[in-house]
Amino acid sequence: MVEFKKVSKSFGGIVALQDVSFKVGEGEFVFLVGATGSGKTTILRLLIGEYRPTSGEITFDGQRVDELKSKELPALRRKIGVVFQDFKLLSERTVEENVEMALAVAGIEASEWDRRVAEVLEVVGLSERAELFPSQLSGGELQRVALARALVTNPKVIFADEPTGNLDWETAEKIIELLVKINKQGKTVIVSSHHKVLIDKLGMRMIKIKKK
Amino acid sequence: MSVKLHIRSALSSIRRAPFQALAAVSVLGVTFFVATVLAILVYSSNQVLNYFTTRPQVIAFLKDEASLEEIDVLRAKIQGDERVREVNFVSKEQALEIYKEATADNPLLAELVDPSIFPASLEFSVSDLEFADQVIEEVKQDEIVESVGFTASIGSEDSLGGVVERLKTVTKYIRLGGLVIMAVLGVTSFLVLMVVVGMRIASRRHEIEILGLIGATRAFISSPVLIESVVYGFLGAFFGWLAALILILYLTPSVLKYFGEIEVLPRDMGSLLGLLGVIMLGELVVAFFIAIIGGGLALSRTGSRRR
Repeated sequence: MVEFKKVSKSFGGIVALQDVSFKVGEGEFVFLVGATGSGKTTILRLLIGEYRPTSGEITFDGQRVDELKSKELPALRRKIGVVFQDFKLLSERTVEENVEMALAVAGIEASEWDRRVAEVLEVVGLSERAELFPSQLSGGELQRVALARALVTNPKVIFADEPTGNLDWETAEKIIELLVKINKQGKTVIVSSHHKVLIDKLGMRMIKIKKK
Repeated sequence: MSVKLHIRSALSSIRRAPFQALAAVSVLGVTFFVATVLAILVYSSNQVLNYFTTRPQVIAFLKDEASLEEIDVLRAKIQGDERVREVNFVSKEQALEIYKEATADNPLLAELVDPSIFPASLEFSVSDLEFADQVIEEVKQDEIVESVGFTASIGSEDSLGGVVERLKTVTKYIRLGGLVIMAVLGVTSFLVLMVVVGMRIASRRHEIEILGLIGATRAFISSPVLIESVVYGFLGAFFGWLAALILILYLTPSVLKYFGEIEVLPRDMGSLLGLLGVIMLGELVVAFFIAIIGGGLALSRTGSRRR
């Protein structure tokens, strides 16, 4: 499903990633582990084509991401549900509208929106918060809105970037449980994290990124 | 589908910064107000010019012995000439009537004359005054023609020919001046629209970035911005047109009275509104293109690149 082959990324003289290689198969649950600044977010940005690798090959679903043209990127990004570290929610839209926006972007018929939004908010436990704005939510709730937005279009893979980073232990555990549940439904899940205790507790596959 | 969403986004963006919206609509409104007034001015000056150019300019006085058949032959010959338009035959009796009308304030003068003293004539105008001399020379050669008069040479110095030439010059300057004014206002509106749309894009930069990251296409991201731009264009065109309409409706009775028989503006309300309706449709089309091109240019400067 996802393959990085000897991928390096530099910004001028600063090397963010060097010779990173890994594979993630369909339906897998993988933790991407590394210290802060080790390049986990860079891997996400390379995967969704926001960055172009300095060298190496990136393949997603049989498609060479590093060779895609800019106009081909939206289609790629719609296949990957991303939970960003800083959530990247639209502050002037409600929870419901944020999730709806992903459906609109994916070109899904408006008649489907209400049902799908209700379903996904039910899954992440935010049905009661649908009419609220991001500024009215807690950190854990924001994380779940971001997850709902990533899930609603039914993408092939979910990439969650540090989803537990700013959360208390209990909330972090709930978010990870949710991701495991989603994985059990057949989705490939990649979670970048430095939450060692939580990762060890789950005993899932880990890909370690060493800081250069 | 997502069209409703884009329209909602555009309208909420307008509500969020009403003063920017007001600035854009005002500048466009002034442009289209002037455009409407200029369009009416061009129409009216054309009407005045048309009035004078379609008046008979050449009169061929016919010999008394000319038969009706000969007159018909000459009439057909003149009418067939591409340089000539609107040929009218004026009989001796009609000439007397014209004389009577002209001397209505002194009826005695008309009583003293007999139709036989007036020559019958063929009156016509030329499509361009430049042809007048040639046509007069040719018509003079006909056997049944006694003499030919050019209205420019009949009467005072302020002859029809002079009036037409002067009107042509005035019309030319109205068109030229109008084009210059419209070009300046058009460019100003275009730039203001670009600046306002650019500010909107800057204020939505975060949203645009997020939409791009979740897979929105360029068309999806651009749509609300372009819709907003078109809303400004249409509102500006409508309010500018409306202000001009009020002014024109207010002035029309006085203008029509001043110009007398020259129909510088349609006399019935239906035709006047029809004319203004056509102008508005044209302006909406122009506003649409200004909005799309202005908005599109502002958007093209915000394209994100892969790093």
